[in-house]
Amino acid sequence: MPIQVLSPDLVSKIAAGEVIERPASVVKELIENSLDAGASQITVEVRGGGITLLRVTDNGCGIPAGEVDVAFQRHATSKITSLEDLEKISSLGFRGEALPSIASVSLVELFTQTADDAAGAFLSLKGGEVIERMARGRPRGATITVRNLFYNVPARRKFLKSWATESSHISAVVSEYALAYPEVRFTLYIESRVSLRTPGSGSLRDAAVELYGLELAQELIEIAPNDQDVSPKVGGLIGPPQAARSNRGYMSFFLNRRWIRSPVLAYAVEEAYHGLLMTGRHPVAILNITLDPTEVDVNVHPTKAEVRFRNEHIVFAAAQKAVRAALVARMPVPQMEVPAAAPLKLSPLPIQGVLKASPSGDDNSVDSLFPSPTSHIRPPTSQIPILRVLGQVSNCYIIAEGPEGVYLIDQHAAHERVLFEKVHSQRARQQVEEQGLLEPFVLEVSPQQQDILNAEVDNLKAYGFALEPFGDKSFLVRSIPAVLATSSKNSGQGLAEALKEIADALAEGRRTGWEERIEASLACHGAVKAGQSLDPEEMRELVRLLEKAAMPRTCPHGRPTMVHLSASQLEKEFGRR
Amino acid sequence: MRLTCRQENLAKGLGIVGRAVATRSTLPITNNVLLATDGGRLKLSATNLEIALSYWVGGNIEEDGAITVPARLLTDFVNTLPADNVLMALNGKSLKLQCLRFEAKMSGVDAEDFPPIPKIADGLDARIASEALHQAISQVAFAAAAEDTRPVLTGVHAEFEGSNLTLAAADGFRLAVYKAQLLSPVEGKTGVIIPAKALSELSRLLPEQEESVEITVSPSKSQVLFRLKDAELVSQLIQGTFPNYSQLIPQSSTCRAVVNTSEFLKATRTASIFARDASGIVRLVLTSGSEATPGKLTISARAEEVGENMGEIDAMVKGEASKIAFNAKYLTDVLSVIKEGQVALEITTPSSPGLLRPVGSEGYVHVVMPMFVQW
Repeated sequence: MPIQVLSPDLVSKIAAGEVIERPASVVKELIENSLDAGASQITVEVRGGGITLLRVTDNGCGIPAGEVDVAFQRHATSKITSLEDLEKISSLGFRGEALPSIASVSLVELFTQTADDAAGAFLSLKGGEVIERMARGRPRGATITVRNLFYNVPARRKFLKSWATESSHISAVVSEYALAYPEVRFTLYIESRVSLRTPGSGSLRDAAVELYGLELAQELIEIAPNDQDVSPKVGGLIGPPQAARSNRGYMSFFLNRRWIRSPVLAYAVEEAYHGLLMTGRHPVAILNITLDPTEVDVNVHPTKAEVRFRNEHIVFAAAQKAVRAALVARMPVPQMEVPAAAPLKLSPLPIQGVLKASPSGDDNSVDSLFPSPTSHIRPPTSQIPILRVLGQVSNCYIIAEGPEGVYLIDQHAAHERVLFEKVHSQRARQQVEEQGLLEPFVLEVSPQQQDILNAEVDNLKAYGFALEPFGDKSFLVRSIPAVLATSSKNSGQGLAEALKEIADALAEGRRTGWEERIEASLACHGAVKAGQSLDPEEMRELVRLLEKAAMPRTCPHGRPTMVHLSASQLEKEFGRR
Repeated sequence: MRLTCRQENLAKGLGIVGRAVATRSTLPITNNVLLATDGGRLKLSATNLEIALSYWVGGNIEEDGAITVPARLLTDFVNTLPADNVLMALNGKSLKLQCLRFEAKMSGVDAEDFPPIPKIADGLDARIASEALHQAISQVAFAAAAEDTRPVLTGVHAEFEGSNLTLAAADGFRLAVYKAQLLSPVEGKTGVIIPAKALSELSRLLPEQEESVEITVSPSKSQVLFRLKDAELVSQLIQGTFPNYSQLIPQSSTCRAVVNTSEFLKATRTASIFARDASGIVRLVLTSGSEATPGKLTISARAEEVGENMGEIDAMVKGEASKIAFNAKYLTDVLSVIKEGQVALEITTPSSPGLLRPVGSEGYVHVVMPMFVQW
């Protein structure tokens, strides 16, 4: 086949394929246009999974009647004019590819009016060619209707999933933008039903109420933006550890209000939750990152979902630090759910607010519909109250009484937390305490563990393990960290287990968190076990140490150390109130 | 079975054997106590399958027989009875008790079902004064390990050789060795490991005992019997090899301090209050004196973010000035069982084992592994 230049039609279809992958991509591009146009209300209608019909209506600035034709030409945009602009992009779109791409694979109708024009413009295109044009009036804004998507690209159409799946993708896109722009009222109709409606009050929490439900939204912890004019600035809402989800779908990242996919940020957030979540659980997080536009390249990918940071590690550190700080500052004790009695479930629904709302339809009245949920939440503190030990249950849990009811404390998890912080601080001060062993212990290891331990002898020494190579695949252990020495079982087999666990932790690579894993492992092996009976003095001591801990709510592996049965729950349960 | 005995004696006997009653057992009958007539006396027995305790109560036996009844029920009931004669009569499986105007019937379980208590007739046989045995156990048994990942360490190693009985116990961090005298020499050398718990139970019975104690080790070295005047304790022995502890005892030292035992104990207890928040670490510094001033031993503890304290006692220090850190618990444990007025502390480097021995008694050595700290 001879080399030839492709026809413009084919080129536009290929280009469209990069930007327009599925109906949700159309919605994304159109919403971005609306947002760039300064809209305060955006309505999205979806029929037939967005394949049959997609309509985005906004009240933005609109397109002047004289420019509607140009808008559908490739690389035509009003958002940037020069290369310098590209360096510091502040609008969501800038490539001038969206409209032509959409137009080349569907039937598009544009109906728009600016504040200045006397009449609006209506334009209908099929496969990128104008087939109808007229002047019609409408309120300021723009409506773009996309019908019969991919009618001329059967290949792409074949790969679309079911209507429901495509709708859910659209819903996800709208949700992300609703979180990114809480001041914009988003309404999403799927098959003529309202699927999502955000108040547009400007409060991120209000938007979260709509997306995540009142219960979760109330629990979300606000990240106070760091005041200094440092870049990057991190703000947003994060979920408390007990509201963790089993997938990463609840992490949303917005860079300069652009929704992005970022494995780096996801990792930063998970790192911040390190030691608070059980394995396989992922946090809920809505993170707004504000960064000097010159520090980031958004022009990496046609859909701009991925960005490139100039200083990735700085962004990583800032996000991780901000999330961690918010977590440490406000971590509530998990409330005990009493399953038997349904009425006990607390749900402070703002019903009065709904009844009071004026039906005037005024945008601002929406605020009163959604009284700030924060007012219902008593600010939880990181520290636990002073507790009085009452006793022990099943040789496993300590029952304690506090000012606000009864606390059940998992003795192993609590002790783990205490020891973890102790080891950590000793290590930080380079004052790890070691206990000599009466008789050196011979540790038998696998070849892989041997290599690791050989390489890490100095690091282990820093944690209090004095290891000497002792022939093939064995080591002589001469001393152990003092935290392990509290129980004599750690002089024998228990010690071998602890060391092998640590060797395995080191083998997983020292990328990050290996120190914490060693510390967690030491804490776990040094801590009292479930099933060990404690005398009252020991329990009091443990609770005293836990009260002093910096993060007393969870063990280093993320399990809660305590559950709380509040006095009011008890009263309700017994019908006193 | 029909007999009469004094309430005080019965209550005492039940209190003693009650220590061996199983508390959490999969074999329900071990919650019972065995009552049996035996050579004109009433024999009470209980076992948790690890140790078995028997006690003989004098009484007037009218008719022989045996039964087991719930230990807790019988003990609690007998304890509340007036101090008078108790009549016990067995009718089928129902035991009737009568004391003055109080009466009770309790249903029992056949004595045949009770786990047999091993009878140890031959094997190694040794006699020791009960006072000496009591002393030996108290100085050693506490050093045994509490948990059983290395079962031999939960026991006390007992070695019979000539007229010596050497008891030794160690967990991973300390070692206690005590040499006691037997009343008569034994043949050859026999070493067994006796559970520390069994020895603790035995040592409760010893103070009341004036006669000597007979120790019999079964020929298979699987059980040991301690025979007292009115009581017997049979214990399973722990199988395995006890560490060769003699090589763990340092043979020399560069610094030896002799201090008053109770002053040392007091100062350690004071330091341990601060040491609570610092892994129990107490730091000892030995300074030798001049001709005019005595040497001294300072004991300090330091807990980050809590505070620190320091105490000082007089010491006769020979050798170089030294320092060493120990877990306060290990020091207080050993110092509180040393009866002698003075104790010698022998150390070499901050990382080599420390040795404590009472002054004026050759029989006892205690080795404690130090903790390595930043000074």
